[in-house]
Amino acid sequence: MTQSQQPFLLIDQLYKTYTEGDESRAVLDGLELSIAPGEFVALLGSSGCGKSTLLNLIAGIDRPDAGRIVIAGAELSALNERARTLWRRKNIGFVFQFFNLIPTLTVLENARLPLQLNAMDTAKERARAMSLLAQVGLQGREHSYPERLSGGEQQRLALVRALIHQPALLLADEPTGNLDTRTGAQILELLTGLAQQTGAAVLMVTHSETAAQHADRVCTLRDGRIEAA
Amino acid sequence: MPVAVFRTRLIQRGLSRYLWRHPWQLALAVLGIALGVAVVLAVDLANSSARKSFQQASEQLTGRATHRISGVAETVPDGIYVRLRLELGMRASAPVISAHVSGLDGRQYQLLGVDPLAEAQFRDYLAADQTTTTSGRIDILALLSEPDRAVFPPEHADTDQLTVQSGSQQWVLQAAGHFTDPALSGLIVTDIATAQVLLNRIGQLSHIDLILPTGRAGEALAAQIEAILPADLRLEPAAANDQTTLNMSAAFSLNLTAMSLLALLVGVFLIYNTMSFTVVQRRQLLGMLRALGVTRRELFGVVLIESLTLGLIGTVLGVVLGIWLGSMLVQLVTRTINDLYYVLSVSKYFISFSSLAKGVVLGLGASIVAALLPAREAATAPPGVTLSRAALETRWRASLPRQIASGSLLLAAGGVILVLTQGLIGGFGGLFTMMLGFAVLTPSLIILLVYLLQPLCRGLVSAMAVRGIAKHLSRTGVAVAALMIAFAATVGVGVMVDSFRSGVIIWLQDLLSADFYIAPVNEGEGARSELLPDVIARLRQQDGVAALSLYRGRSIRYQDQPVVILALEPARQTWDGYRFVSGEPATAWQAFSRGQGVLITEPLAYRQGLHVGDALQLVTPGGALTLPILGVIYDYGSEHGRIVLPLTTYRHYWADDSVGSVAVYATPEAKSEQSLAALREHLQSQLGPLQALQFRSSAAIYQRSLEVFERTFTITGVLRILAIAVAFVGMLSALMALLLERGREFAVLRALGMTPHQIDGLVVLQTGLMGLIAGVLAIPVGLWLAWILINVINRRSFGWSLPFEINPMLLVQAVLLAVLAALLAVIYPLWRQRRIQIAGELREE
Repeated sequence: MTQSQQPFLLIDQLYKTYTEGDESRAVLDGLELSIAPGEFVALLGSSGCGKSTLLNLIAGIDRPDAGRIVIAGAELSALNERARTLWRRKNIGFVFQFFNLIPTLTVLENARLPLQLNAMDTAKERARAMSLLAQVGLQGREHSYPERLSGGEQQRLALVRALIHQPALLLADEPTGNLDTRTGAQILELLTGLAQQTGAAVLMVTHSETAAQHADRVCTLRDGRIEAA
Repeated sequence: MPVAVFRTRLIQRGLSRYLWRHPWQLALAVLGIALGVAVVLAVDLANSSARKSFQQASEQLTGRATHRISGVAETVPDGIYVRLRLELGMRASAPVISAHVSGLDGRQYQLLGVDPLAEAQFRDYLAADQTTTTSGRIDILALLSEPDRAVFPPEHADTDQLTVQSGSQQWVLQAAGHFTDPALSGLIVTDIATAQVLLNRIGQLSHIDLILPTGRAGEALAAQIEAILPADLRLEPAAANDQTTLNMSAAFSLNLTAMSLLALLVGVFLIYNTMSFTVVQRRQLLGMLRALGVTRRELFGVVLIESLTLGLIGTVLGVVLGIWLGSMLVQLVTRTINDLYYVLSVSKYFISFSSLAKGVVLGLGASIVAALLPAREAATAPPGVTLSRAALETRWRASLPRQIASGSLLLAAGGVILVLTQGLIGGFGGLFTMMLGFAVLTPSLIILLVYLLQPLCRGLVSAMAVRGIAKHLSRTGVAVAALMIAFAATVGVGVMVDSFRSGVIIWLQDLLSADFYIAPVNEGEGARSELLPDVIARLRQQDGVAALSLYRGRSIRYQDQPVVILALEPARQTWDGYRFVSGEPATAWQAFSRGQGVLITEPLAYRQGLHVGDALQLVTPGGALTLPILGVIYDYGSEHGRIVLPLTTYRHYWADDSVGSVAVYATPEAKSEQSLAALREHLQSQLGPLQALQFRSSAAIYQRSLEVFERTFTITGVLRILAIAVAFVGMLSALMALLLERGREFAVLRALGMTPHQIDGLVVLQTGLMGLIAGVLAIPVGLWLAWILINVINRRSFGWSLPFEINPMLLVQAVLLAVLAALLAVIYPLWRQRRIQIAGELREE
């Protein structure tokens, strides 16, 4: 992966301010960032610096006050709520710090959820889901409910769910923040491997410099802007 | 200020701010308690107002009388009064004749004939300060001497003339004064002689009021009085008669109270649901407080005080709402009492302290009981540990075996209570215990139904919807149970009313077998009006008339209870109109025709423990009469019972040859609609000049009877709606809490690409399924409830046995309504859910 490639994700002059009462706080202040196809970027930053806000804006969950986000040629701000949702469904995979699995679905069903949302839930894809689950060590647990899994297992399942539909971009929000160091390292290994396998670009926000070492490139978010490491 | 108190206050503040930040939750908690209290209080106030109005009116009429002479045949010859005064020198005695008459608008009045001179020492209503006239005082002289003078009820204060109807006669009464006390609404007072003429009861009194001294002198005088009384008259304390009348409507009042308690049961579920939400949702906060050193006792106390505060606010609101609702219900209660029991005019809405106290105790009690369990849960949570939602549900599910055991135990206990007790209170006690048992079993049944529904799921969204119900059982279980109870009550009461209606219809259709019925104008049961002998003689001679059945009704007392004697000379066709509960109809009728026995109605047999073959002993003016019981017949016309006696026997023992009404059977060739109309017209022209008569077809009587029936159950319908309203608020509250708790889950689904419509679909499907489960469970529970209502409660209240009639539409309707109620309840929570920011939900941990 090199910087010379055409950027897959382009963020231009992004602004986001939160207001509470009379006080307003600029979280993103003219942020600029680009990610190449298949690139793994780690974003470091202190608590409350706006890392999660940036992920939400890229995923189209939240809207910026100003600026452009262009992903694979599509400008997010030009899309309405429904179009952004459908776009997200197809192009984005999410991994959260607290796993956020659906408690009423089994392991296999959690993995199949993005396939079903994208109308891709064919026998072939289901077989792929089984294979991915086996790859992350969840073979034999397909019919268990998430509450029966350990933290590490839950996050492995979350990884499969995030990548099963082969999104172009994986957004990972502190994916190891709720795991011990050893399990965290295993998860990052899996994340890197699976992302390469599916060809997804990765933007991971983290506190951990150790975690960031798995990335192709490390950036730091400070005062609402990106600083190259 | 002691440190402990200061600390507790801070904890209190910290916890209560959470509620202020979720005002809807606070409002629903308060509304839940308020609705529960309001329904119970309203019914209680309506009942007590009707009762108090009756008591006030009867106190006015009983006055200072200590004793009363009355007859088993509800009549006293006025010669007894003369003997009391002349032979015993009983100056403290007052003759009274009373009956109901109607105004031209059909309104019923109580007509009281009194001796105005003897009245002063008994009652004050004729005193100057209780009445009003144009000249400022009542004209006693006119009342005594002029035959058409009367004192008018307060509602006719501006009229000097009032036309009333008694039997076939109309009378125009002139005012001798007007009552001012609203308690005397509906009362017309005349001189005794005027009343006797007007009521066609010359020489008769209803009773004689007496003031007997206390102690030995009184006992001696009572003995002297009893010595001159014939066998069919008796001396009794003055209040006894009023009590009997009041007892008549006691079963009706109890039924209403039970319906309101059903609403409260649903209300308690609602309160429990809401209170537990308020505690469980703050489990993180409570865990933190424990970690900071707050003791279990402090936390328990704080949560209880909070519940008590909410309970108090809800109760106060409930009391206000209940007072308003009660003023609406009192009209319905009065109407039903008027239809079924006695003429009652509720002029004042009484708000009694005891009713209010009952409402307050129920509201506060239910709030505290409902909060105890969650408060204990809050206090026992390990310090610093935030029990995850999943762990909480796991704990709840682990308690299912215990719930099944308790539910089964409650069902068994309810069954034992039903079997071992005889009275109505035992009946309701058993019923409520079993209802509680079903409610406790509901969460386990939900698990079973979800298990059965799962294979039907197509796609992950429907799987999530179905499984979500079982997954969030601590929330969904109580809400579904409350909704199930409310709809089970709807099914139970609905089936009971349908069965009742069906029983009444069959009974009426059989009974009204004649082509038409003839009676003097405004003839009614117990009225002294009669058909002229000429009318009957002429009727027998008319072409087209195949047969006649002659009836004479009379109120008597049997075993100190009011009972109606129906003296009957039946045509052969009439035999088939009476359905027998026991006894062999053909044999019974043959013996009846020979004057060898009586038929009694089912309520009388049930209340007095009488059976076919038993000897019925009656005290009559002609002496003691003992006849065997030939048969027990169905009868929904009177809950106290009737004795059907051969007319010849009646005439002999009561020395009364009159006939009250006649059933006319047309000849086969006159049976067509046209011929019947012609026959009726012909009879009217022939008999009209002899006496003012009313001709009523079977269809008209049938229609009128069903109208009264439907009106009687209006109040039941209102209470059913109130119970559903309470359950609806419970569902709303549960769904609000559930959606709030699942906000993060929905945010994740949105992040994964689910559209808001898909989330809506998921929630609507889940809620609809909750309604469906509540509706489906409500059917067996409701049918069971109906069975108890019909075979235990109704039987013990009224002595009637009813067919068990299930209208499938009612069951379908209940299920659909349960689904609809659930779906309506989710609209607002869903609207709120849509406004929640996904980013915010994902950020919060």
